[in-house]
Amino acid sequence: MTGHDGWQPEAPELVRPYVITKGRGLPDEDALSLITLVTASADQQQRPARLSPEEQSLLDLCSAGYLSVAEIAGHTHFPLGVVRILLASLMEGGHLMTRPPVARARLADREILEEVLNGLRAKFG
Amino acid sequence: MTEYTGNPLLWVALVALVAAAVLISRQRKAARALRQQVQGLRDHYTELENDYGKSVQAAQERAEDETKTVLKSAMRTLQGLAAEQQLVLSRLQTKYGDSALLQDLLEIDHTNSQFGRRAQSIAVLCDGWLGGRRDTASVYDVVRSAQGRIRHFRRVDILSQVDFGITSRAVEPVALALAELLDNATSYSSPDTVVEINIRTVPKGICVVVDDAGVGMSDEERARADKLLATERASGVAGLGNPPQFGFAVIGLLCERFGFEVSVDSSSPYGGVRAVVLLPHELLTAMPEKKAPAPASAPAARGTARPVPEGGPEAALTSSPTGDGLPRRRRKRPMAIVPGSASTPRATGRSDSEQAQVMGAFQRGTQSGRVTEPDSPDHAGRTSETPGASSEGHEVS
Repeated sequence: MTGHDGWQPEAPELVRPYVITKGRGLPDEDALSLITLVTASADQQQRPARLSPEEQSLLDLCSAGYLSVAEIAGHTHFPLGVVRILLASLMEGGHLMTRPPVARARLADREILEEVLNGLRAKFG
Repeated sequence: MTEYTGNPLLWVALVALVAAAVLISRQRKAARALRQQVQGLRDHYTELENDYGKSVQAAQERAEDETKTVLKSAMRTLQGLAAEQQLVLSRLQTKYGDSALLQDLLEIDHTNSQFGRRAQSIAVLCDGWLGGRRDTASVYDVVRSAQGRIRHFRRVDILSQVDFGITSRAVEPVALALAELLDNATSYSSPDTVVEINIRTVPKGICVVVDDAGVGMSDEERARADKLLATERASGVAGLGNPPQFGFAVIGLLCERFGFEVSVDSSSPYGGVRAVVLLPHELLTAMPEKKAPAPASAPAARGTARPVPEGGPEAALTSSPTGDGLPRRRRKRPMAIVPGSASTPRATGRSDSEQAQVMGAFQRGTQSGRVTEPDSPDHAGRTSETPGASSEGHEVS
């Protein structure tokens, strides 16, 4: 039954991504963006046995500390959207916590900086 | 006496007697010949009849063989195309993983898988090619693969897992047989019910139990299923009915060829059918190793990379692979990460571990500075024992 005449095409993956995501839809872009930080919840002991192997490995990955969604996707071989769906479902189950990305520091006012510079020049320069 | 011989009547009677005897014997001969002829004709007739039956059967077989050959090669083309398309879809899914397009790509992937399964089923009935796998796969993955090949895969719920793999040779047949069972289970039960799958270890191997909450099978259907699964294998696509019912015919053939068993003779506790697939030890192997290295490296890093609750900040700095609280990255291939986002987690990691060290050093520096200030303010920072304090000393002076 196998390719007895030697011709065997490159085999596609056995488990397709839509089965791994259980057919769920993509999560909200705001809820889980590329740079959202994700970590496992503190109560690791009560991890349910019914998580799929992919969800388990994502949890393992996230248990080391905060990781961005983009980084997690880089560690797995799944498309980014699939990882986002899985992370969203893990969040729903309470296994993951997210932290919004750190806001960019606000630049100080240019005038103040100039005044400080002038002051320093006046004192030392 | 002489007057008797002279009597012509006697002679006439004698001649008549002889003539009658000759006539009778001739008639008898003719009758015998006719009987033989009839017998010969009858033999000839039965011979012809047999020949006719044989030639009709031969013609039927030849026609069926021809159908099989045509279907087989046609299905092989379709299977190849489906597999090719699946690869293209995988590439597209990776390429457009970030966009909303992914949702549609997953839908297409699902349709494509169903299409591939249909082609595979017909190929099996025509003694065709099933598509091979080079790797063993875990029982759980094979079940999920089967789940992905049916329309209502969302209604299938896998309740248990076992630590066994399936040999590469049996991966596709078992997946296909299970897909046919799941297709039956989801088609013959109401859309809001769940089809449950339990995987159990039994002395003879592993059982995959599929329970649906449908209406069950009638006696006639059950008899047909039993016949196709156990005694009389289907051959070709003839006799599948209209609309054709592929399921049990395909499963029966796969069972025979690959040596596993399927039975549907019990009823499920939910009222529907309970189908049991028994995979013997010959088809089972140890759990295959995971391909992705990332999950394996993560637990190793876990113990060292969570510095704050376990050790002091110094311990974290000496043992943490990257020094910022993140697991060591093993890049197998270039990762597509937006440049700005990669630096963000690093900064937050520093806030956990390095920040503590910097603050500690700052505190020690100011303390030592206060203690030694009366003697020599300039020396205060430099003689301090902590390396972090020396830099603080500069800022103080």
